[in-house]
Amino acid sequence: MTQEADQNIALRTDGLWFAYREQDWVLKDVSLSIPLGKVTIIMGPSGTGKTTLLKVLAGILRPLRGRVEVLNQTVEKQAQRSLSTLIGYIPQQLGLVRNLTAMENVLMGALGRCGHGKVLLGVFPRREIEHAKAALDLMGIGHKSDEKVIHLSGGERQRVAIARTLLQRPRVVLADEFVSDLDMALALEILGRIRRAAQQEQITFVLSMHRVGLVRESAEHVLTLSHGKVIPGFPAQGVQGAPGVELPQ
Amino acid sequence: MKTNLLVTASVALLLGVVLSQLGFFDGARLMRGLRNLGILTSDMVPPDIGVLPVTGKALWETVQMSFAGTLLGFLASLPLSVLGTRHLFSPIVSGAARFVAAAIRTIPVLLWAIIFVILVGLGPLAGTLGIAAYTVGYLAKIYADLFEGTDPEILEAVGSTGASKLHLVRFVFLPEGANAILTQVLFMLEYNIRASSILGFVGAGGLGFVMQVYLQTLEYRRLATVLLLILVVVLTMDGLSAWLRKRFLLTAQS
Ligand SMILES: Nc1ncnc2c1ncn2[C@@H]1O[C@H](COP(=O)(O)OP(=O)(O)O)[C@@H](O)[C@H]1O
Ligand SMILES: [Mg+2]
Repeated sequence: MTQEADQNIALRTDGLWFAYREQDWVLKDVSLSIPLGKVTIIMGPSGTGKTTLLKVLAGILRPLRGRVEVLNQTVEKQAQRSLSTLIGYIPQQLGLVRNLTAMENVLMGALGRCGHGKVLLGVFPRREIEHAKAALDLMGIGHKSDEKVIHLSGGERQRVAIARTLLQRPRVVLADEFVSDLDMALALEILGRIRRAAQQEQITFVLSMHRVGLVRESAEHVLTLSHGKVIPGFPAQGVQGAPGVELPQ
Repeated sequence: MKTNLLVTASVALLLGVVLSQLGFFDGARLMRGLRNLGILTSDMVPPDIGVLPVTGKALWETVQMSFAGTLLGFLASLPLSVLGTRHLFSPIVSGAARFVAAAIRTIPVLLWAIIFVILVGLGPLAGTLGIAAYTVGYLAKIYADLFEGTDPEILEAVGSTGASKLHLVRFVFLPEGANAILTQVLFMLEYNIRASSILGFVGAGGLGFVMQVYLQTLEYRRLATVLLLILVVVLTMDGLSAWLRKRFLLTAQS
C-alpha cells in the first residue's frame, strides 16, 4: 500500500479470527481500516461480536489468527504501558471505580505516566491535576469533580469516562456501546463533545453502537459487523430486522 | 416432588440417629441437666460487684489484645491476599499464598495462643500474637476471594491506562472492595473479642485467667460479673460497628 494511505489510517486489521470456544468463531477473517482523527462507528445488533472486536483491537483479547496495527505498530508486541499511549479502552459499563470521586477516576488516566511514590498515597503531580480539571471542564462536569461516581447519573458517568481517556492521551479511543443507554438528545450532546475532542486532541474514536438512528445522526464513518465479518457502510437487509436494531427510514 | 420427600426423610432420619448418639434422647440425663441449670443460675445471682476492679483490669487487657491483634492481622493479611489474587499473580505465587493462609487458618486460635505462650512466654503478648495469626489466615482468604470478584471491566479499563499491579491494588481493588473489607475486619474484631476472653485459660492474658480461677473455686457470683462484662463489651462493639458502617460505607442511592 502507499505511503499516503498509511498516514491516513489510524488502525488496521488483517484477517482477524477469534473464538471463545473452539471452532465457534465470533470474528471470521475481519479486515478493516479506521481513518485517522475521525469518529468511526461499528454497527451491528447485540450478540454479533462488537464487544469482542473492540477487546481484540484493544489488545485485551488475543486474536487466534491475524493481527491489529495501530499507527503502523503491532498491538500484540506492545507492553501494556506503551500500548496505553496508543489505545484507550472504555468498556460498556464504563469501568469506573464507584467509590472514588470523578476527579480521582479521571486521574486514573495518568497512571501509565506515574510512578509508585506519592501517587500510591493518592497525591498526583500538580500538572496532572490541572489536566484532569481541564478534561472534566471540556466534558462539562467540572462542578461534579468531587462527587463519588456512585452518586453520578448515567450521562455524568459517561463524561467522566471520556475525561479519563482524554487524560490518558492515547491516539485511538475504543468505546463499547458508548452513549447507548442515554436518550437521543443527551447522546448527541456527548457525541458532539467527543467529535470536538477528536479534532482538538487529534484523537481517533471508534464507537460500537446498535441504534441505527443514533448512528445516522453522529457518524463520520460507519462499519457494520455481521455474521463475524465487517462490511463498510450501513447494515444490509438481514441485519436491519434483527432485535435491538432500529430500522433506518 | 418424590425426590424432595425422600431427601427430607433421610436427612431427618440421619439427624435423629446423630442426636440420639450424642445423648439427646436420654430423658433422665436431660432432667438432671435442667435441675443443675436451676442450681447454677441461683448460685450466680446476685453477681458479686466487689470483683469489678480486678475483672475490669483483665477486661481492659482483653480489649487491648483484641484490637491490637485484629489490627496486626489485618495489616498482614492485605499483602498476603494480594499475592493470592489470581488476576495479578501466576498460579504458583497465588497458590502458595493461598496455601499459607489455609495452613494458618487450620490451627484454631486457642492453639495459636498456646504456641505463642511457648514461644514468647505467658501474658498478653502471646494472646495478641495468637489473635493476629488467626486473623491473617481468615482475612487473607476472604480478601483474596473478594479481589478476584472485582468487576473485570474496571480492571480492563484502568489496566488499559498503563496502570501497574500496585496501582490496580491501590486504585481498583481496595476502593472497590472497601465495603466488604471494613465489614469483614469489624466482624473479625467482634469475633476476636469473644475468642480472646478464653485465651487466659492457657495463660495468654486477659479475662480468661480470672474466669478460670472463679470456675475452679466455684465462685459463680464472681463469674457472673465477668460474663456480664463480656456482654457489655460485645454490645458496645455491635453499636460501634453499626456506627462505623453507617459512617463509612458506600451507600448506593443511584
Ligand atoms: N466471555 C465469553 N465467553 C464465551 N462466549 C462469549 C463471551 N463473550 C461473548 N461471547 C459470545 O460471543 C458472541 C459475541 O458477543 P459480543 O462480542 O458481546 O457481541 P456484541 O457486543 O455485539 O453484543 C456472542 O454469541 C456471545 O455469546
Ligand atoms: Mg457488546
